Amino acid sequence: MFEMMIEILIKTVVILGLPLGALPLIIHVERRGAAFMQKRLGPNRVGPFGLFQPLADVAKFMFKEEVHPAHVRPFFYTAAPMIALIVAILPLACIPVAAPFEAFGRTIFPEVFRSDMGIFFAFAASALGSYGILLAGWGSNNKYSMLGALRACAQMVSYELSLSTSVVAMIFVFSTNDIHVMVAAQQGYWFNFIPKWGFFMQPVAAMLFLVGIFAESNRLPFDLAEGESEIVAGYHLEYSSMKFALFFMAEYIHMIALSTLFIIMFFGGYNLLPGLELIADKIPLPIALFQVASLVVKIALMVWFFVWVRWTLPRFRYDKLMDLGWERLLPIGIANLIVTVLFVYFRN
Amino acid sequence: MSIYYYLAAFLFCLGLLGTIFKKDLISILLCLELMMSGVALLFILFSKSTGFLGAQLMVIFTMIISACEVAIGLSLIIALYRKKQTIYTDDIKIITE
Amino acid sequence: MAIDIFLTIITVIFALMLVFSKRTVVSAFALLMTLLTLALIYFQLGSIFLSAVQVLINAGAIAILFVFVMMLINLEQFQNNREKSKIKLVISTFTMLVVLGVLALVINNNIETLSVNNLTDNSMNALFSKLFSTYFLPFEMATVLLLAAIVACIVITTHEKQLVEEETELHKMEPKL
Repeated sequence: MFEMMIEILIKTVVILGLPLGALPLIIHVERRGAAFMQKRLGPNRVGPFGLFQPLADVAKFMFKEEVHPAHVRPFFYTAAPMIALIVAILPLACIPVAAPFEAFGRTIFPEVFRSDMGIFFAFAASALGSYGILLAGWGSNNKYSMLGALRACAQMVSYELSLSTSVVAMIFVFSTNDIHVMVAAQQGYWFNFIPKWGFFMQPVAAMLFLVGIFAESNRLPFDLAEGESEIVAGYHLEYSSMKFALFFMAEYIHMIALSTLFIIMFFGGYNLLPGLELIADKIPLPIALFQVASLVVKIALMVWFFVWVRWTLPRFRYDKLMDLGWERLLPIGIANLIVTVLFVYFRN
Repeated sequence: MSIYYYLAAFLFCLGLLGTIFKKDLISILLCLELMMSGVALLFILFSKSTGFLGAQLMVIFTMIISACEVAIGLSLIIALYRKKQTIYTDDIKIITE
Repeated sequence: MAIDIFLTIITVIFALMLVFSKRTVVSAFALLMTLLTLALIYFQLGSIFLSAVQVLINAGAIAILFVFVMMLINLEQFQNNREKSKIKLVISTFTMLVVLGVLALVINNNIETLSVNNLTDNSMNALFSKLFSTYFLPFEMATVLLLAAIVACIVITTHEKQLVEEETELHKMEPKL
């Protein structure tokens, strides 16, 4: 019993703490990447390559005066940032970072919450994502905040549909809900060089999921929720200092969680990167370390992809966004689902 | 486990109370939702005590039906609000007038 | 056993908050919390799939709809100008107590048979093989019901005149190639 508790504690701290710890680095990559794409220098003064700039920002966030406007609804105003962050972290609890391995005389599953339908729980947790934003918009008691929150919520609800059609298609392809089985099914190669990743089985579902991630985490080109030109800053207009930082962190962690799910379903999850098996056999280190490293590299590439898209595409107009969600992506998703189901049915 | 039976009965009755004495339509719908969840909890408990798996499927059907009910109810409320600018049951008495 | 009582107390508190709070948004928030604690109870009873579905559908979609509609309708313009009718409260409390008494009596008489655990196979496979064999007709009917609900929502909430006007305005805004 005591060993179990220690194990769960360590898993919680490592798996949920790592993304939080990596956040300053991601923010730095984002700012430097933006500068790189716009032929600027970006933050490069504090520390080597400006690496300590995020730390300085964190210190600033902590010591800044907290402005508490008089016209807000106090309970919801205070609760909203916390709810946003907690809900963003929750899906990470179901995501494994390596294959189950033997240590200390028993099998250890490297995820906080082990279930044979982990993918369901991850999506159930990420479906709650719009509450933080909605409560922030309503609690701020401000028209711009309210408009931003309504926009964000409508957008998240409508893109969740096309996202779920692609998830259901992948569940049919792998015929399982267990993340470990899903990842194991993506091991190996076709013709000795194409990895058996879900992306090559279901490219349409992968594209739908990718667009869905951008919309769900309110990133550009879908960041209508905080369109500065029309509604000032959207739902976090009234927030300052640490409360604003919590929203900021929630957005990035939501992005990391969803892109980890994307990698698990479409890019082989914690399977070793192509070519790494040859090296991993010769080095006397546990295979789990290589798996964690592969997953981290894949997530880093995804984060870079987010930055890349952010500074490449312009923001959508709101009605165009809704058209894209309901009239383009949803029919494509349903058609893809039907084709997949027929294919799986006739294959068996 | 037996305490959950009383909880389910209590939720159902509380929802009933709310549907009778609440005044705006949205609160009434919320209370209906509470009644539904009480029934769903009862279904799961029955499936445990009788070993009959079909009762758990009834929970899925309750969820589908409550989703339909809420969607149609809320759209009716919005249509009513557009027409009358009110959502209170006291204000809607065309038949008696 | 302790966790059963704990979850029950929390659920009861949120349910009371739902019914007796004066602001409707607080009620909706309490509904969300009630649904989440119920999901925990399902989890504790061993219906893991149903608890995930409860969070995904009831808490993730239905409660969001409520909050969304509340924000579309500005509720605060109505608040605090309604007189309370005592008779209604008395009648509803009486009804509730009667129904609760009957239910509690029924439960009390059968508590030994009700609190045994006879369920052996609680897995998702067992559940869904039942759904797609014995319960296939209700399942199909539920899909038809959902489709009808979608159509009904669209028909109820759109005015024909408004739709035509919006479309013409949008066409004016399109850049001509």
